[in-house]
Amino acid sequence: VLVSIISSPPQNYPLYIRSVPTENELKFHYTVHTSLDVVDEKISAMGKALVDQRELYLGLLYPTEDYKVYGYVTNSKVKFVMVVDSSNTALRDNEIRSMFRKLHNSYTDIMCNPFYNPGDRIHSRAFDNMVNSMMMQVC
Amino acid sequence: MSVPDYMQCAEDHQTLLVVVQPIGIVPEESFFRIYKRISAVSQVNVRDSQRVLYIRYRHHYPPENNEWGDFQTHRKVVGLITITDCSSAKDWPQTFEKFHLQKEMYGSTLYDSRLFVFGLQGEIAEQPRTDVAFYPSYDECETVEKRIEDFIESLFIVLESKRLDRATDKSGDKIPLLCVPFEKKDFVGLDTDSRHYKKRCQGRMRKHVGDLCLQAGMLQDSLVHYHMAVELLRSVNDFLWLGAALEGLCSASVIYHYPGGTGGKVGSRRAQGGSLSAEAGNRHRPGALTSNGINADTSAEIGRAKNCLSPEDIIDKYKEAISYYGKYKNAGVIELEACVKAVRVLAIQKRSMEASEFLQNAVYINLRQLSEEEKIQRYSILSELYERIGFHRKSAFFKRIAAMQCAAPSIPEPGWRACYKLLLETLPGYSLSLDPKDFSKGTHRGWAAVQMRLLHELVYASRRMGNPALCVRHLSFLLQTMLDFLSDQEKKDVTQSLESYTAKCPGTMEFITLPDGLKLPPVPFTKLPIVRSVKLLNLPTSLRPHKMKSLLGQNVSTKSPFIYSPIIAHSRGEERNKKIDFQWVQGDVCEVQLMVYNPMPFELRVENMGLLTTGVEFESLPAALSLPAESGLYPVTLVGVPQTTGQITVNGYHTSVFGVFSDCLLDNLPGVKTNGCTVEVIPALPRLQISTSLPRSAHTLQPSSGDEISTNVSVQLYNGETQQLIIKLENIGTEPLEKLEVTAKTVNTKEKLYGDFLSWKLEDTLSQFPLKPGKIATFTVNIKVKLDFSCQENLLQDLSDDGISVSGLPLSSPFRQVVKPRVETKPINPQESSKVGDFSHVKALEAILNFKYSGGPGHVEGYYRNLSLGLHVEVEPSVFFTRVSTLPATSTRQCHLLLDVFNSTEHELTISARNNEDLILHAGECQRMAIQVDKFNFESFPESPTDGTQFANAKQLEEERQQAKGLEINSKLDICWKIPSLKREGEASVEGVLNQLVLEHLQLAPLQWDILVDGKLCDCDIVVNCKVGDPIPLEVKLTNWSKHSVGPFALTMTPYQDYQNGVHNYELQDAITFVGSNTFYIDSVKPTKDSVYFGALLFLYTGDFYLNIKFHEDNCSRELPLSWFCLPSVHIRAMEPTVQTKL
Repeated sequence: VLVSIISSPPQNYPLYIRSVPTENELKFHYTVHTSLDVVDEKISAMGKALVDQRELYLGLLYPTEDYKVYGYVTNSKVKFVMVVDSSNTALRDNEIRSMFRKLHNSYTDIMCNPFYNPGDRIHSRAFDNMVNSMMMQVC
Repeated sequence: MSVPDYMQCAEDHQTLLVVVQPIGIVPEESFFRIYKRISAVSQVNVRDSQRVLYIRYRHHYPPENNEWGDFQTHRKVVGLITITDCSSAKDWPQTFEKFHLQKEMYGSTLYDSRLFVFGLQGEIAEQPRTDVAFYPSYDECETVEKRIEDFIESLFIVLESKRLDRATDKSGDKIPLLCVPFEKKDFVGLDTDSRHYKKRCQGRMRKHVGDLCLQAGMLQDSLVHYHMAVELLRSVNDFLWLGAALEGLCSASVIYHYPGGTGGKVGSRRAQGGSLSAEAGNRHRPGALTSNGINADTSAEIGRAKNCLSPEDIIDKYKEAISYYGKYKNAGVIELEACVKAVRVLAIQKRSMEASEFLQNAVYINLRQLSEEEKIQRYSILSELYERIGFHRKSAFFKRIAAMQCAAPSIPEPGWRACYKLLLETLPGYSLSLDPKDFSKGTHRGWAAVQMRLLHELVYASRRMGNPALCVRHLSFLLQTMLDFLSDQEKKDVTQSLESYTAKCPGTMEFITLPDGLKLPPVPFTKLPIVRSVKLLNLPTSLRPHKMKSLLGQNVSTKSPFIYSPIIAHSRGEERNKKIDFQWVQGDVCEVQLMVYNPMPFELRVENMGLLTTGVEFESLPAALSLPAESGLYPVTLVGVPQTTGQITVNGYHTSVFGVFSDCLLDNLPGVKTNGCTVEVIPALPRLQISTSLPRSAHTLQPSSGDEISTNVSVQLYNGETQQLIIKLENIGTEPLEKLEVTAKTVNTKEKLYGDFLSWKLEDTLSQFPLKPGKIATFTVNIKVKLDFSCQENLLQDLSDDGISVSGLPLSSPFRQVVKPRVETKPINPQESSKVGDFSHVKALEAILNFKYSGGPGHVEGYYRNLSLGLHVEVEPSVFFTRVSTLPATSTRQCHLLLDVFNSTEHELTISARNNEDLILHAGECQRMAIQVDKFNFESFPESPTDGTQFANAKQLEEERQQAKGLEINSKLDICWKIPSLKREGEASVEGVLNQLVLEHLQLAPLQWDILVDGKLCDCDIVVNCKVGDPIPLEVKLTNWSKHSVGPFALTMTPYQDYQNGVHNYELQDAITFVGSNTFYIDSVKPTKDSVYFGALLFLYTGDFYLNIKFHEDNCSRELPLSWFCLPSVHIRAMEPTVQTKL
């Protein structure tokens, strides 16, 4: 299971990445990186729709053999990507959606921190804890 | 069928497949030249119709794919062109045999074939044959295209006949069952008469006819046939063929909707016929049904629009077809190709999401074990397709896999070159460019972890390619741009490998051009080390040039009419390039200070670090430095020598780190602070070096005015001593020294200094000028220290037990309070107090000698240099005058000055004064010496011109006056001391010792009293002789030298006799009588006037008499100092009148 936050275009670099298990992390990196294509595509497809009415949750980006990749984009085009085991059938769309919402709230909290520079990598204990608990729940 | 053709696209369904192959030995180059010419003929307008034939040429086609020709006719090889090289007629039969063999390979499907023979001449070549064409050489074959067109026409005839043949097959006839290779065994023993079977045969045949129609350029007909086929096949659940029919339908619709083609690359290959194609397409479609005489098709009436699928339907049908294909494991290639075709269509429709789904599906289609080359091809094509639908990252991902596949360990000869090329192509997908400038500003772009990986792979591939320069460049780039993301261990690894590569091939600042034209920009290591600030340093003070002050104000800016304005008009942008207000000098070493730090977790060795400049020829002197791990800000000074004059701009610096040379320009560095980079270089000036006869001192002066002292010398002198300081001035520059000015300034003088401290004569030195480079001139300065010789107060108290007990004068002087009340005196052991250490308070005198010098071209420009010599003189006390007092001498015009001299040195000391004996003082000894001095007339000194008005100055003036008095006294006294053991001598000055009281005593009173007895001036030691019985005139003359009128006074004369035993006899009424009054009354005397009073004395007896002249107590002369009323005593000897007179 992997959670990552990717900054807004054009930089598109990861602000936060956390995966369990940690070995073979590069594979996850590749998965998430390539998933951005789909995210971009989905965003541009939605560009025509009114921005504020837009659904932030993008749903399943694409399934791979072992994993499912889900995406979520904030209005400021910060992307949240989650990779979960495809064998985990307990996770339904609704759960994923609520997880993303939780993630978004925590992310907003970080942004409210006056000492955080938007664009920096996220080093926050509170955020780590939240992600940890979320991952525990999933695994 | 096992070899997928990834390049396939929907339009390929309408093409005829022609294989072009060489037989025998044909040079590859020649073959492809001919092949190119042949394949240029890809569209042919058939002569008698408006239909267009499309030809697909292949130079290689696996025969097993040919077996699927019934399934989809475009897979069928219908034409064969063989190219052969035949130089002699002898080889001809053999060649021809080979041609036939080749024909047999595709024999079952061929409609026609051709043989092109090159090089054969002679009779065989002259035989006209349809299937063989002879050309003398590869260069003389102008008719190739014509031949091909003929050939295609013949193909068309066959095709058309086949189409008509099949299309007109009546349902009554026995329709053969078409089948794909793997189906053949399934139909063995099947009931061929069942309706089901018949329907299947019909459906398959319909589909086949549809294919043929499509190939023959009859799009509408093919659509109709496909529709019918779909219906037929659906009813019999013949899924494979149903899929094929659907795909055919899709292909035909695609061809209809997108005449421009979907193939991209394939399209570009056809570009030369592109316009023709579109034109032809437009022409043939509307006329397809009418102009064609063979369109006796049953379903011709069905509307075109209805037959043709809408773009959405195309995708649906593709999906359906693919799902049917998916049911058959052996149809993997077909499925894969269908996916690829669908993706191409979707790419044109810009429906990326769906396309990606197709592609995703294609990825999972498992073909048999693929060879490495096929894998590469597969990944490349996937990458290309992803690229086409705008999924750049995904595309890069597959391209990278393809690249890795090129160099997979299982391949015996890894294609590193191909791998590298593919890797380069992935760069944009990872938003990575190889220009470090893109990464120098702002936040990082892209996914660092993935980028790093890719860069590592590039490094590795370039190394394996055997291009170390490239490898170094990539590695440098990795280090420079990914530094923030590398872990400590990775940093170590990367630098280690970089160092090992640069050992073979050092990194340069040149562009590396790759064979395919890509240029790799140089990578300067701006982060190794990171430079935080760049500061141009002024020259050291002693070398700093100063502008001679011209008459016009130098600082007045001509830009503004205001002398001062609070609005400083400089923006941020100007700041970087602003000029600095100091100058550098040509030929002198100039410095730039960089604040750098090392971000690496290990020691960083930076070699050959120097400055990059423009504007002035600049000789940079590179430095090597070693920065400790994770160092903080670390100052580094880079030096260089400007060789010409003008404006110099420091643009950056160059370094060599890990064997990589970098030129770092300041403009490209983020977050660098500078104080400006442009400075003026002025013409050369001479350089002066000073060496002195005195030792250098560690003590540095801290002058107030901000000047810095280049040299400090120190000397220890006894108070009062004089020493010569010889200064050697050496011109160590390259310019002649022409001008020299010397000034001196004494600093921090808390001590009172008497006399000139420093004195010199410049003329002697200047006579040696101009001083050539390397020459030395000498300059002599006299140091004379004369500090206060009075001792400290406590010493005074301890040593002088009776204070200033001069003559019992009342305590009227303001300076009396110098003497503290006796009660405070500490009971100091006299032995202890007389210890030398207590008095040897070393005092320091400091002075700065400034040498302003100039010469050479700099002098012409009006610059000079200033060199300062700090002089530190430690003054040890020599002698002290612990107490000073006066004793009146016998004459009123003289007095005795009593000095208690204390030797505070550790040596025996002799002291002498004018007209006096030498006095020998042992260490720590105190002795009194008496010096007889004439009194001084101080009134001749200038008085204050304004009294009272400037009250503040009054005290100062008083002090000044006293100082002048002291000087006068001192010059008279001429006291010298000498330490024989050290052979040192000096003067001693009493100036500081003298107090008001003493001065008063030493001063001639302004009221000058002269007493004349018998016309002779009386003074203390003079005895006036007179005769008894004769009246002796007595004259008292008062001359007023003071500034105020004095008087009136009353004087009383009292005669007395001194018995020399302390008894004075005043009872002399019968011995002396006054003629007249014994009291004189003197009226007030105006300044500078005098008045004379006369009286007379009559001595009645002989004897020695004295006259005591007293002032009356009651008069107003109290206001005046007592010392003014100092009258000489008169000594008169009365004698018997001489006998001679009687005689």
